Parts: sequence; C-alpha cells; structure tokens
Amino acid sequence: MFFADFATALTLTFGYMFSRSVTMQYPDKEKWLPYARYRGHHFLKRDEEGEIKCVACELCARICPCDCIEVVPYEDDKGNRRPAKFEIDMARCLFCGLCEDACPADAIALGQQYEFSSFSSRDLVIGRDNLLGKPGKATTGGGVVAARLNTEQDVLVVTSAPHGYNWWRNIRRT
Amino acid sequence: MELIVALGLIAFKVAFLIAMLLLLPLPLTWLERKIAGHMQQRMGPMRVGWHGLLQPVADGIKLLTKEDHIPAEADRFLFKLAPILALAPPFVVFVAIPFGESVSVLGHEITLYVSNMNVALLFVFAVIGIEVYGVIFGGWAANSKYAVLGSLRTCAQMISYEIPMGFAVIGVVMLAQSMSLLEIVRAQAGVWNIVYQPVGFFVFFVAGLAEAQRIPFDLAEAEGDLGAGFHTEYSGIRFAFFMVSEYAIVLLVSVLVVILFFGGWNGALVPLPPLLWFLLKVAFFVYLFIWFRFTFPRYRYDQLMAIGWKVLLPLSIANIIITGVILGAATAP
Repeated sequence: MFFADFATALTLTFGYMFSRSVTMQYPDKEKWLPYARYRGHHFLKRDEEGEIKCVACELCARICPCDCIEVVPYEDDKGNRRPAKFEIDMARCLFCGLCEDACPADAIALGQQYEFSSFSSRDLVIGRDNLLGKPGKATTGGGVVAARLNTEQDVLVVTSAPHGYNWWRNIRRT
Repeated sequence: MELIVALGLIAFKVAFLIAMLLLLPLPLTWLERKIAGHMQQRMGPMRVGWHGLLQPVADGIKLLTKEDHIPAEADRFLFKLAPILALAPPFVVFVAIPFGESVSVLGHEITLYVSNMNVALLFVFAVIGIEVYGVIFGGWAANSKYAVLGSLRTCAQMISYEIPMGFAVIGVVMLAQSMSLLEIVRAQAGVWNIVYQPVGFFVFFVAGLAEAQRIPFDLAEAEGDLGAGFHTEYSGIRFAFFMVSEYAIVLLVSVLVVILFFGGWNGALVPLPPLLWFLLKVAFFVYLFIWFRFTFPRYRYDQLMAIGWKVLLPLSIANIIITGVILGAATAP
C-alpha cells in the first residue's frame, strides 16, 4: 500500500520509544557484576591459617605466554618455600588464565575485578601483598547492580549489592 | 494615552515573542535528544539536572563561551551576516501568526496576535523565503567545499519546495476566501480544513519538512556526507543562531500546519481553552518532526528533486483545480 512502509517504520520507532533502555549508567549509578567464569585481575589466595598458599614453584611464570609474572622464592621460618617477590605486570598480561590452570597449589586465580586502568604502566606492576588483597572470583555474577563512584579507593566503583538484574532481558528484539 | 497603551502592548507582545522563540530551543533540544535516545533504546541526557533537564543550559553556556572561529579564507562580512539572516526571518514571521482570538486581562481585551494582516499568508511566505539567504551565504562565505555543497543543495531544495508549498495553501485560501490567518481559522470553526484538503495538507507538510531542512530532507546539513553542511565552519554563538533558526522554523511549520489545516485554536470533542488546544496541536506536530527525524533515512539528492517537481508540484496543482471545480459547482446558482 501507499506509505504503508512509512507507517510501519513510525509505529516501530514509537514502540521503541517506550521500550526499556539498555543503557548501563556506569560508573556512578550502575555497574556490571561479571560472571563467575570471568577472568579479571589476578589475586593470590591464603590457606586456613592465613598463610599465603603460593609455594613459589614458578610454574605460572614459566607457562605465562607473555612472561609477565616474576617470582623470587625464599624459605620462611617454618621451612616452607614461599614467594619473596611475586609481581605481575598487568600491562602485559593477556588474561588467558594459564597461570591459574598451571598452579599446583591453587594459589593464584583471575578474579572479578576489571577496574584497574592507570595513567602509568609502572603502576600496573602489582606486587605480592597487593595481589593478596584483590577481590576473588565472583560468586553470583552476571547482572547490573547499583553502584557509586569512589575515586579514593583502589576499586573504582563500589557496590554492596550481591545480585544484579539481568541486563540482557532489557534488549528488545523485533 | 490610548496610543501609549497600544504601543506598549505591541512592544510587550514583540518582546514576549522574541523571548519565547529564543528560549524555546532549550526545551526542544532536550526533548529531541531525549526522544532520540529513547527511540534508540538509550537514555539521552541524564547527568545535568534531573534527567538532564539542565543539559540545554549547559550547552548554551558552552556555545556562548566557545571560541568564535572564522576561517582565514572566509568572506568575513558575509560570514558574520549569514547567521543573522538565518535567524531574523523566522522571528519576523511570528508577527503575523495568531495564537488565538483574545484573552481578557484586568478588564482589557488583549488579542493573541501582534498584527492581523489581511495578507498574512503572503507575508509569511515572502519573509520565510529570505531565510534561504542565511543558509546560502553561510555556506558560501565559509569557503569550505562541504559548506558550499550544503548551501548549493539548500538553494535548489528551498526553491523547489517553496513552489508546491505555496500552491498547497491556495486551496485553503479558496475555502476561507481570505489570506488572513485569523479568517482562515475562523472559517474552520465547523469542519477543519484537513477534511476538505487532505492532499493540500500532505503537500504542505512534506514541503514544510523540506523547508525546515529536517530529515528526510536535511540535505543541507547531511552530517553523513557533508560534515555538517552549510554550518560546518561555524562555532560558538553563530552556530547557535543557526540552531535557534532551525527550531524556530520547525515551530513555524507546525504552527502553520495547525492554523491552515487543523483548525487552529478550534477545539474538538474535549472543551479546553482555545490557546491550550492550539499549543497541544502544535506540540503534536513538533513531536512529529522529531519522530520523523529518528525514523526515516535521508533522501538522495535526485530523489529529493524528483519528489519536489514530479510528485508534490502536480499534486498541488491538481488540488487547486479540483478544489476550484468543486467550489465553483457548489456555489453556482
């Protein structure tokens, strides 16, 4: 029909006007919680006594395809082999997760944090103590949560909500 | 004393009109960006003020404080003249536009128009024709290929579409037996002209889209292929002049459509104040402009010319002939 396609187009855009917006108001209102499988910033784990799990075997440093992990072992007062220095150059890391797979002591893993941009690549070399304090794997990830911007902290966007709404359900498919 | 009051009233009305036309682009840009955002599943401005309501104010401050750049090779006089030439005609036209019959304030009857010309329609078309000079000079004076191409297109487009636009309203003039906009609205007290003149409305509205240089006929700007068309080289407040002019023309075409075809301030079904009826209808057509903008793609240049000369012009002429024949048959003794 004459101009029927115009009418179809207009009704379509009109319908879209009242459909839900897909905008995620990152970083000062909302934030995406990654899935549990997400490979973000590394973190080092502790065992039950609070002792670092890492045995400084340097397997992670060996398997790392971009050679960004540097481990220097030492012997602590209990006679265990521990890392004196454990540095990851985040500027070079490609987040493949091979270090996590290779680790025999289950000491290193890639966590949920993804906000670690920096003005200097020197700041992206993360040491042992810093890695111990990084957030671990996401447990209930995969959603958008309310958040607020925090410029003081290391973690840019802070959130307290553990569950988010599923952002994907907002996408209208016609 | 009478004279002073009358002059003061006119001065007040003119000042009010100017203030309104200068300030209306602020909410209109906000609305346009908001509607654009939601049609594209975005949110539009959200950060400045509640839901970005102060965004146009922030933009205005930005435009006012921005460097006023004139290209080295530009024709400086024409470059400075063009924004004023683009801005003035839409403002002048509103002198002839009635917004209603009259309201009584403190016992005085105040008419809702500055002047009731008997040739208002002719005046509107004559003055709005000047507006094209702003665009042409602006594009030419900037000495940039994009700007020149933009103004070349505008030149052809404006001239092509003013003809069917002018012809489209002749049917309305025949029905009202007057060129006064006030008389035209009064003639529609019973039945709106859209019933008798659907073809006239169609031609007028499409040509109005082209005159306002809005999508799907925004070839003068065509940000996809011409940078920003005729105002590529403009910045700061001079650019703002072009933007204000564009919104004023959008408003003007909406107002004209309402007055000529949709009964002006004559209400229907719901008894509302006449001014409110008028503003509601205008708001609908302004929304229609924005709605079109984010629905349709731009026409190609040859398609634009073909629509203007091969579709709208014959349609408008046929409309005149048929209206004339029917009117003649109806009034024949």
